[in-house]
This record gives sequence, C-alpha cells and structure tokens, in this order.
Amino acid sequence: MKRVLVVDDSLSVARQLEKIIAESGDFTCVGHAKNGAEAIRMNHSEDPEIICMDMNMPGMDGLTALRTLSVMDKQVKVVMVTSLGGVGDKFTEALKLGAKNVISKPFEAEGVLRILREL
Amino acid sequence: MAVKFFGQFLVEKGLVSRDSLLAAIELQEKNNLKLGEMALSMGYITPADIERAHNAQMSKDMKLGDLLVEMGILSATQLNGVIARQKETHLYIGEALVQVGAFSAADLQVHLDAFKADQARYVSNGIELPVNLPNNAIWEMTADLTYKMITRVLDLQFRTEKCAVISSIAPACMLAAMDFSGDVNARYMISVSEGMQKSIARAILSEPSVENEPVEVLEDTVMEFANVVCGNVAAKASQMGIVMEINPPETLHPPQEGLPVPNGFTALSFPIHIMDGDRMELILLIKD
Repeated sequence: MKRVLVVDDSLSVARQLEKIIAESGDFTCVGHAKNGAEAIRMNHSEDPEIICMDMNMPGMDGLTALRTLSVMDKQVKVVMVTSLGGVGDKFTEALKLGAKNVISKPFEAEGVLRILREL
Repeated sequence: MAVKFFGQFLVEKGLVSRDSLLAAIELQEKNNLKLGEMALSMGYITPADIERAHNAQMSKDMKLGDLLVEMGILSATQLNGVIARQKETHLYIGEALVQVGAFSAADLQVHLDAFKADQARYVSNGIELPVNLPNNAIWEMTADLTYKMITRVLDLQFRTEKCAVISSIAPACMLAAMDFSGDVNARYMISVSEGMQKSIARAILSEPSVENEPVEVLEDTVMEFANVVCGNVAAKASQMGIVMEINPPETLHPPQEGLPVPNGFTALSFPIHIMDGDRMELILLIKD
C-alpha cells in the first residue's frame, strides 16, 4: 500500500482525507502535519510516497513547503488540496512548483482516489 | 464539485496530463501579449514609456492602459485598438492544448461541453442587495454561492430571508470568519446555532452522529465550510476579473450584547432558516 502524508491545518479536512485513504484499500495514511514546516519534518521522518497538502495554512503555507520539498525530495509526489483550486493562477503556480495535481474542495472520495491512483 | 477553470477540470479528470497543460500554458504565455507588450509590438509606445508608466503605477492605483492615456503616451483610440488586438489574437487554453497535441479539435468540443455541464451548477442566480456597494455583483455572487454550497456540501433544505443592512452582529453559538483582500476589502462570516453547528459537522465529517466530538472539531467543521465557500468565491471572482485573496478562517464567539459593526464598513445580513428549525446567518462586512 502506498504511504500518504496528510498536511492540513483543518482537523476536519484531515479527518475526511484520512478516512478516504483508510477505506481505499490502496493507500495508508502515515501521519497528519498541520503546516508546511511540520510537513517537511514528517516527510523526512515518515518517508511518504505521496503528500496531500493544503495550500492555505497559517505559518508556512503549502506552496512554500512545496517549493522546498521539490528541491529536497525528488521522489515524493505532492498533490495540493485547496478551496482555491479554481483560481487559475494558484492552480498553475502549484503545477509549476512541482505538484502532480490539485484536488479542489469540496471533494468527493471518488475524485480524490482517482487522482491518487493516477500518480 | 467546485468552481474551476477549464485546464484544471481537464487535469483533475485525467483528460490531459499535467505536463501537457503546463506546455499549453507556456504557449499561452508566449502568445498572449500583455497590454504594454501589445502596444509596443504595434509601435505605439517605447520600452521607456512602459517603464515610466510602471513607476507612476506605484503611486497611482490605475490600470496600465488608463494610465498610459492619462500620461498622454497613448490616445484613447490607440488604447481601444490595443485591447481589440489582444482579444483577436488571444489563445484560449483549449486551443493551446490542441496546438500542443494534447487532444484533437473535435475532442476539444466534447470536453468543453462536459466542462460547461459540470460548472452549470455554479451559474449565479440573481440576489438583490438593499444598498449599492462597490463590487455589488461580487457580494450577490458570494451569497448565491453560499446558498449553493449549503445544498451541495451540507445537503440541507433551507429558506432564505431578504438581505438587510445591520448595525450589530447578533450573538450566536459561534461565528466562522474569513478576510478577503486584494481588489476587495471585506470579511465573510457564517453565524450558526448549536444545532446548525452539529448539522455542518455531520456533513463535513460524513458521520451519522457527532455527539462525542470535541468542541474544537465541531468549530473546525464550520470554519472549513466557510473556507470552501470563500475559496470558490475567489475562483468565481477571478473569472469576473476581480482578485480576491483569502486568509485562513478563525472562530469568534460574540458576547450577549452582540458585536458592533466597525466604522467604515457596511454589514449585510442574509438570514438562512434550515428546515428542521436550525438557523444560520451569512454576514458580509464590506469596506465602504
């Protein structure tokens, strides 16, 4: 099963994603980071294959963490999760910084899993 | 299930790869000249004129085209000509994807139809505001999108009351608040009763019961609902040419006497009655 790290300051979004991941049968959640800095630390300690990361977080935001992760770890695949996905500039910026895809909120389990399985 | 632009819809659905989309965006960036670049290519202005106008923009909140006219660098007729040429030569993302070989022109129409069907649920319905405010269309769209998300995300039936201007924010179980900045200066707030807070939590967490959930989780679900609405509002606003930045949500607990509306702001209240007797209220604090 592929190892997934969830990064979101919202407890409820993390719960939603962890549930989708746990019930998928293909993925396992290796942890939950609450901001970008914690994500970078947990990427090192938990060694996930995939990171699902919120874009808009207090402290280090998702795009800043993505910029760092894309330099530090060429293997990990990052998918951004955001309510701002529909803002074209934000979406393009995430892809240019190395995100593999963007999951827009509100999301459904089917859409999240399709994106994760395509990675 | 959110407000999207066409390229994002295609990548999310797996209809084009991320790399194809990035190649198409790169082609667009080369092809679609900015106003200054287009005026330059048409021989109306020089690079030094652009630099002068950009320097002037630091102290004047004006669009480049209007500023070039005000500074006497471009005539109004020339500006209209430049804008018309930009429109004529604009390469849309769908066409750019065909040009980079992501799919055929015939497939483009099929994908565009699917995209339009997906986004049809976010087409705004008219909502009447009691006052004339800057960017009225944005606030009408914000209220409309909030109503649509109550249906789509929370799966609740509700009845709305007419929007009114208020002078203080009534006490409630909690408020989730988010600030908009960029081209607008406003605060988005959702006020909920205790029962409504639990309804939102059940929907967001996909749990039949939330009786044992800690208060912080219940509050977080209301903040997340506000976050989803505001992100989609920002996406819709960007389609309307308005830049709206959003900041992470926060929780407020208004005192018994309510919260005063800050000076220099107009507060709009949109009461929402849920079918089982619960109540929520959308409040928009808009800078005058």
